[in-house]
Amino acid sequence: MPDLSDSFEGSFFHKWDVRCKIITILCFCFMVASISNFAVALIAISFALLVIVMAQVSLQRVLRRLLAISGFMLMFLLIMPFSVPVLPGDTIIVPNGIQWMGFNMRGLYLAATVASKAVAITMMMEPLFSTAPLPVTLHGLSRLGVPEMVAQMILLSHRYLHVFRHEASRISSGMKVRGFRKRSDLATLQAVANFTGMLFVRSFDRTERVFDAMKARGYKGCFPEPLVLKIYPLDIFISGIGVAMGVLLIAVDKNFFI
Amino acid sequence: MHISDGVLPVSVTIGCYVASAGILTWSTRTTRSEDLPRLAVMTAAFFVASMIHVPFGPTSVHLLIPGLAGAILGSSAFLSISLGLLLQSLLFQFGGLTALGANSLMMGIPAVMCGWFFQRFRGENQMRQSITGGIAGAMGCTLAAVGLALLLATGGEDFMGVAKIALAAHIPVIIIEGVVSGFTIGFLARVKPALLNPSFVRSSVGVTRE
Repeated sequence: MPDLSDSFEGSFFHKWDVRCKIITILCFCFMVASISNFAVALIAISFALLVIVMAQVSLQRVLRRLLAISGFMLMFLLIMPFSVPVLPGDTIIVPNGIQWMGFNMRGLYLAATVASKAVAITMMMEPLFSTAPLPVTLHGLSRLGVPEMVAQMILLSHRYLHVFRHEASRISSGMKVRGFRKRSDLATLQAVANFTGMLFVRSFDRTERVFDAMKARGYKGCFPEPLVLKIYPLDIFISGIGVAMGVLLIAVDKNFFI
Repeated sequence: MHISDGVLPVSVTIGCYVASAGILTWSTRTTRSEDLPRLAVMTAAFFVASMIHVPFGPTSVHLLIPGLAGAILGSSAFLSISLGLLLQSLLFQFGGLTALGANSLMMGIPAVMCGWFFQRFRGENQMRQSITGGIAGAMGCTLAAVGLALLLATGGEDFMGVAKIALAAHIPVIIIEGVVSGFTIGFLARVKPALLNPSFVRSSVGVTRE
């Protein structure tokens, strides 16, 4: 699980003003999402790869993010060649004359475009989120107009997520010690339900104590600002390059140069 | 299941962002402001609960939770679910960036609807609460699956096949989710009934909290 802070501060991505970074990468991702050409989506992936190399983020975490979307993308790649309606001009491969197994190349092309766009955007998420400590990213978000409370709630949820995961693993080892094994039957579902219920009861009790402890430490509805943000001309210049890359992709996608 | 980036048309993703921002504002207003830190802690609990895997034949499915979140949090559930999704995108491997608004709508609206359904029909006795909770759980999952299919279908006729199969794939999850939600609500009704009164919601300020 990622840390709250990142001690590594090597690349310019880590020094880039967090507000410029969020806006630029979001804009770029929306532009990538609007691509309709497979070849252009592949260029978007290579841009994202370039960004990952420049931002020097953990390749392992990028791969984990990609792995997480792979199931959803595989669904598209496996289903769409068989499910898209046949249009005039489509190339259809029919194995051994089995008509209903007609493999539509246009479906594969569409699914591959969707998957490439998803890969490109997912690859951009790691440079966006892990090149600054979480409180700084959230501070940037709230300076961009997201309510301050959202940032605080994310920090609190993040902190208690670990506590409850620990709690869940304690309950689950207790169940294992008592001889519980997961099976596909009603008793398992009931045990899982009691487990979930117990998790909620304990968490709910804890919410009171957490809030009392926060008040005791002088919480008055806001956390201290992690740092003062300042935009330099270089930040805007880098943002300009980022947005220009996105615009270039759209221009190529819409055949602007032909 | 969450929609990945790049699947939906950009106009739909932006529209979903705007719509979910609107509902989010409403959901935040109905939550008492001093309860927001408490809601954040409960969000963490729902997040962990949604990681629980239930065996299903040779494979396993994880709980989606919208029905339960609605029953426990009422109209604050939308805020809680959106936060959970943002947290997922920020720190974990899954969750979208451009599709964040669409995912919030897909999971948050069913949660709020199920919450209303549960509070309306729960009755007093444990058995009835359990059954209503089960229906709410199954309904939450069904509505989320329908939402997913509808959103996929906005991509045009080419995406209809995927939408139908995604909908069909949710049927076992709906059944499991319904049964687990029913048992969980039954457990809470026995052990801690206070949890089933959405005490975060402004309109129920009078509800006693333990």
